[in-house]
Amino acid sequence: MTTITANGVGVVGMGIVCSIADNVPMFSESLKNGVSGVTRLSPRKGPTLSVDIAAEISDFSFIDRLYKGPDLPMTLLRKAKNCAQRSPFPIQTSVLSALEAWENSQMCGWAGDPERIGIVVAGENTTQNYKYTLHEAFEANPEYLSPRYALQFLDTNQVGVLSEIFCINGEGFVVGGASASGNVGIIKALQMIQLGIVDTCVVMGVVADLSPIELQGFINIGAMGGKNRCQEPKKASRPFDVLHDGFIYGQASACIILQSSDVARERGITPRAEILGGAIKLDGVSTSAPSAEGEAHTMNSALHNSGVSPCDIDYLNAHGSSSPLGDHTEIEAIKNVFEGHTSKLWVNSTKGLTGHCLFSAGVVELIATVVQMEGGYIHPNINLDNPIDTGLRFSGSVVEQRNIKMAMSNSFGFGGINTSIVIKSCS
Amino acid sequence: MIKKENVFLVVKNVILEILPDVDTNNISIEQNLRALGANSIERTEIVVLAMEQLGIKLPLVSFGSVENIEGMVDVLVENS
Repeated sequence: MTTITANGVGVVGMGIVCSIADNVPMFSESLKNGVSGVTRLSPRKGPTLSVDIAAEISDFSFIDRLYKGPDLPMTLLRKAKNCAQRSPFPIQTSVLSALEAWENSQMCGWAGDPERIGIVVAGENTTQNYKYTLHEAFEANPEYLSPRYALQFLDTNQVGVLSEIFCINGEGFVVGGASASGNVGIIKALQMIQLGIVDTCVVMGVVADLSPIELQGFINIGAMGGKNRCQEPKKASRPFDVLHDGFIYGQASACIILQSSDVARERGITPRAEILGGAIKLDGVSTSAPSAEGEAHTMNSALHNSGVSPCDIDYLNAHGSSSPLGDHTEIEAIKNVFEGHTSKLWVNSTKGLTGHCLFSAGVVELIATVVQMEGGYIHPNINLDNPIDTGLRFSGSVVEQRNIKMAMSNSFGFGGINTSIVIKSCS
Repeated sequence: MIKKENVFLVVKNVILEILPDVDTNNISIEQNLRALGANSIERTEIVVLAMEQLGIKLPLVSFGSVENIEGMVDVLVENS
């Protein structure tokens, strides 16, 4: 077993609710088997849109999932129920993924100082669909708007709810980075622990609960794909394939708990992986255009901050959103950074299975990376029939049994927000 | 004007919706919401939801001096 670096930061807990899994073990099985969560969009209020496929969390009932979830003390589950049973979908999914992460990090019953635990909520504008669904009733009778709305429309409601359920009194806040929000959150939590502000930090990647307005916005800007795949949704998310035509919307709430190696050791816990470092770099643009130079610079900075070289990385969880321009740009950046090493670097994109989970994508893909490290496999790229580039070692349509010692995970967002993190296996 | 017992029934059902852990037999008209475990947001939520179900529109300040469930029911009855 590889031990964690002294003064390092480990991943001690993980939880997920997404289109292909209700928990982390199921997520790993789905990844291994190449299960796609993309289906026809569930009926919703509003006009008909030209894209009606997505990887949604379906058949959702908070109370059912709460009591069928991880084995936790009834007092904690009751508190979670009281805090979230009348909350919007993004809060309820966050509570469920956080409970799973809390359980497998074995934080229950640990008598640590609550002021040494922090929360970073990754994802801005997380209440768009909640607001959209209330709008019609509000226009008719504004007097009947729930007083709870004043709390619930705020992204920071996530911070309040999670801090109350888990008795957390350290620093807590929301970070945004568009599609890179998850990685921004992970990096900020890592820095808080490295700076000694907290010892433990919950990172919550919030589900992107988009309303028809946001979906249409992504269609109009040309970012959303799948227009020609409405009859075969599982073929629609095609990162790095010649027939990719834009991202497919995915929903996931993903939570990780990071902890300093000292505290993990004190608790007798072996982290599931170590976050060696990361980088956030801006292209200095206000548009959605990606930059190969910016992405390569970010990956190089993440390697430098982690004290490792490109040839130490044996697996890359690419941003790979299935956007033609985005995929080409990322390949150019990867080739630049990993020149001479690309034949040994396995590459896949989890978005081919989960769709693009936007705010939570970075956390989803960190969890994907850790379960692949633990299971010794590289999940398939199920729709990569004809790669746009043959110079990279993409996984094919079936799982590859491979040991991953060190990995990189990329997330890039609108507004030139580039992020990259480096993860070391503890398996 | 809606009958007082009918308004109380609506209020009782709203209380059970907002506070599902409360035993229906424990809700009497003399009680106050605080004693049933409702926090300030839940108390306001109960008033707003009851108004919505009864089709009544009143400024929340109308309930400012109410001391128990009966007081709230009376304000709703008077304005129905």
